[in-house]
Amino acid sequence: MSSDASTGLVVATYRRLVRLYPRAFRDEYRDDLVDLLAEQLRDEPAWRVVPRCLTDLALSVPSQHLEAHMDRPLNLVLTTVLGALAAAAVVVGLVVGHPVVLLACTAVALSAAGLALLSYHRARPLTAPRPVTAQWWKPTATGGALLALLIVVTNATGELPEGGWYVAMIVGLAAVLLVAAGLVLGIVHLAGRTTRRPAT
Amino acid sequence: MSRDRQLPAASLHVVLSLLDGELHGYGLMRRVEELSDGAVRMGPGTLYGTLNRLVESGLIVETTDRRPRSGTERRRYYELTGTGRQVALDELTRLQGLVARVAHHLPGAAPA
Repeated sequence: MSSDASTGLVVATYRRLVRLYPRAFRDEYRDDLVDLLAEQLRDEPAWRVVPRCLTDLALSVPSQHLEAHMDRPLNLVLTTVLGALAAAAVVVGLVVGHPVVLLACTAVALSAAGLALLSYHRARPLTAPRPVTAQWWKPTATGGALLALLIVVTNATGELPEGGWYVAMIVGLAAVLLVAAGLVLGIVHLAGRTTRRPAT
Repeated sequence: MSRDRQLPAASLHVVLSLLDGELHGYGLMRRVEELSDGAVRMGPGTLYGTLNRLVESGLIVETTDRRPRSGTERRRYYELTGTGRQVALDELTRLQGLVARVAHHLPGAAPA
């Protein structure tokens, strides 16, 4: 329906525009997309096909990038490094015990923990939201790990310096609260699973 | 099999178009246009994005390699899986129910 020259130009331009799609999608469907447009141009005039195709690109390119973001694998390297930094700052603060060092270490630990949480939320795929109660194991495991860390550090250092006890008490209290919160969430989650009707 | 959520519009049109049997991309585009009386015209990106999602969710399957094609043909063919066919039929029933209920509540809106 369109002249060969205009069809060739439209198809060549579209082939370049297909590069806007995420790599995985265009590697899989590049030829199919271009062939489909060429077939449309064979049956309909370019002035009808091109605006429709541009609208389709404007809508489908962002949606494909969003899907690619949703499907990407979870990368927890940065989260782990920041978490380890936070734990190390707590240990150094407890071992040294000097008020200034304690203050600095607490600031570092809080900042690193906050950044670890932020990096986790940025790294995780955008999947369908799960109920908060399904995450019950996270506070439980975190609290347990903190308690274990506290026991190891206090055993290793013997008698903690004066300032160290305050930090140890705060960490211990936070750990117990995390474990308790995790257990409560776990019970709520379990109750929800038993009462929820299975899909038919 | 029933689903918690209804299919998105583009997926719905594709699975309904495949109820007659396998089709390639351009054939599907034409079939969707025909079934919707020209109201739905999918572009290439929307169509292949939808096909990609439906393949991943197991509702359709690519059948290109299943039977011999002419030497130069490189089109991909798709057909419904058993689950996909059931979902398409469920969606059809749901839409028929919707039309019947609307017609019942609005006497003037009864289909001809």
